[in-house]
Amino acid sequence: MNTINIEHLCYYYDKVQALDDVSLSVIEGEIHGLIGPDSAGKTTLMRILCGLMPTQEGKVSVLSLDSDDFMQIRSLIGYMPQRFSLYQDLSVAENLKFFARLFNVPAGERDKRMQDLYAFSHLEEFSGRRAGALSGGMKQKLALSCALIHRPRLLILDEPTYGVDPVSRQEFWQMLKQIQGDGTTILVSTPYMDEAELCDRVSLINGGKILESDTLTNIRSKWNRKVFSFSAPNLKQLFGVLEPLAESCQLFGNEIHIVIPNASAAQSLDIIKSRVEGIKYRYEEIESSMEDIFLSYMNPGVWRVS
Amino acid sequence: MSIRVLFSFVKKEIKQIFRTKEMLILMFGAPLLQLLVLGFTVTNEVKHIKLFIEDRDNTELSRAMCEGFKHTDRFDLVQQQRGESSTIMIQNWEAQLVVIVPQGFGRELRQNRKPDVQFITDGLDGNSAAVSLGYAQGIVARFIQSMLQESRQKYPFTALSSMPSQVIVSQRMWYNEDLNSAQYMVPGIIVILITIISMMMSAMSLVKEKEIGTLEQLMVTPASKIELLLGKLIPYWVIAMFEISAVTFAAHFIFRIHFTGSVAEMALAAGLYLMTTLGIGIFISTITDTQQQAMFFSWFMMIFMILLSGLFVPVQNMPYLIKKLTLLNPMSFMLAITREVIIKGTPLRYMFREVAALTLYGFVTFFLGVTRFHKTTK
Repeated sequence: MNTINIEHLCYYYDKVQALDDVSLSVIEGEIHGLIGPDSAGKTTLMRILCGLMPTQEGKVSVLSLDSDDFMQIRSLIGYMPQRFSLYQDLSVAENLKFFARLFNVPAGERDKRMQDLYAFSHLEEFSGRRAGALSGGMKQKLALSCALIHRPRLLILDEPTYGVDPVSRQEFWQMLKQIQGDGTTILVSTPYMDEAELCDRVSLINGGKILESDTLTNIRSKWNRKVFSFSAPNLKQLFGVLEPLAESCQLFGNEIHIVIPNASAAQSLDIIKSRVEGIKYRYEEIESSMEDIFLSYMNPGVWRVS
Repeated sequence: MSIRVLFSFVKKEIKQIFRTKEMLILMFGAPLLQLLVLGFTVTNEVKHIKLFIEDRDNTELSRAMCEGFKHTDRFDLVQQQRGESSTIMIQNWEAQLVVIVPQGFGRELRQNRKPDVQFITDGLDGNSAAVSLGYAQGIVARFIQSMLQESRQKYPFTALSSMPSQVIVSQRMWYNEDLNSAQYMVPGIIVILITIISMMMSAMSLVKEKEIGTLEQLMVTPASKIELLLGKLIPYWVIAMFEISAVTFAAHFIFRIHFTGSVAEMALAAGLYLMTTLGIGIFISTITDTQQQAMFFSWFMMIFMILLSGLFVPVQNMPYLIKKLTLLNPMSFMLAITREVIIKGTPLRYMFREVAALTLYGFVTFFLGVTRFHKTTK
């Protein structure tokens, strides 16, 4: 049973189309990553799932409920918006209690859950501190705790690690894995390609369209391309040679990554070798990263993998 | 609607109010300051007019008349500097009113020849000039009157006693015998204060939720919008009601303005009026995105409401069209009720028109505010 089913969803802000025929499913129990750059339509999609915006075209069902039943959906899901949006002038404990009450968590149950959440977020020693005085990473943990206070079956997180330091990011992902272990399905959006590796399945989204939606392994094999990393003292000259031959050619630090279809890889490499004679260079085949894949999807003319 | 959810909204709101220093100052410090400053300064009374009397007659009668100017706090007698004429005194701001009693005043009066007395006043401040002239004329008239009575008894057959009796206007200022402006202003200040608290504060606190993103967080909870709105508004309603009582008490001790009407009826009127202002507050919050905008907007509304309320300029004195415009202003009705109830103790049943208007505005505005809030948030 899929936790989320979206079929042919479109959304327009006046004349601007934010979502274009989006079809997507999130399988129960998985961490599903929604990967895409800013303004790809991630937030719009998530807000529709929470019932914060109407379904204009298409069909959305969350936990087998139609999107029109958003009041019922809301009591079963936890949503953490991109911006920290808890009460800065209330303390950690007060924020938790307030949201517990809004989600109708019984009073006896509440204290136990707060203890569980403290154990997992390590926020107990800050329980009396005002939320506004917390560090960025702790704010994220508190927001996550508030979204979890009613034990939701589905957690929707909008760029939860945006602007958080790498250590806190790692910690945050460990917490997500733990939540998943308790049987909660998680839909998380992120602009960071490396976080895609931490998801069970990902959907690549750009310009309101879902480009691909699968496990990372499947996306890689479907992608059917090889990535080579070139390095040379004179990168600029090398770049000029490589660019017209490769499907995608990107500068990564002092390396150039090129993408070549599997089928023509050997042939292309021969051509490259013949063209760059006289220039000192090294190259090696590397494993394709999410970033390589995403960038090549963004490249017009390579929309679909043959 | 769940009472527990509503209660937790109220609790949260009150905590937030009492933790925000600016809110506290605005809600509890500002009203007292306003009461004191406006109560003492906004006044139409004219007192301590600098008066110079040039008695060229200097007889028993003229001196007796001038005596009347000395026993009132309306006038402060000033002395003439050597060699200075009375016109110079007015020019130099040493006198605001000059009374010139001509030579032969006493004699002419005795012979019933209607002597002239000259008043010269500084007309720059027209209001003060007119009022002080009125006082001065009153004093002279009273002197003549008392003198007539006296001489009729003493010398029944003299020319003076044969002067025809005049109509005597006897003035009584009911409800405010001393024409004390604080009596008139303070009820108005009470109305302004509760308007600020309810309209501006509620708009700002609602917009704040929007501004910092908590509104969106609340929207994804199963709590309903009506619980959210009521939970936010009830604290301001209660605080405004408290503030009315506090300011009324303060007015009692500071300005000796005694609450003569029914407290329950005042509370009823205030409760209805607050529905209007809270409704406007919700409305403002739906058309603004930041607290700053909400504050500007509220002030904009406030200025129109105050000017069209009859606080400074009585509604009867306004031009026809403007007078009609005040009918759209709930504050003008509330002001009328507050003045009547506090000062005159008028029962509400004699102000059916005002109460009906407040009820209508209260329910319509609140309904429109809530509806618009529903539409603009999902």
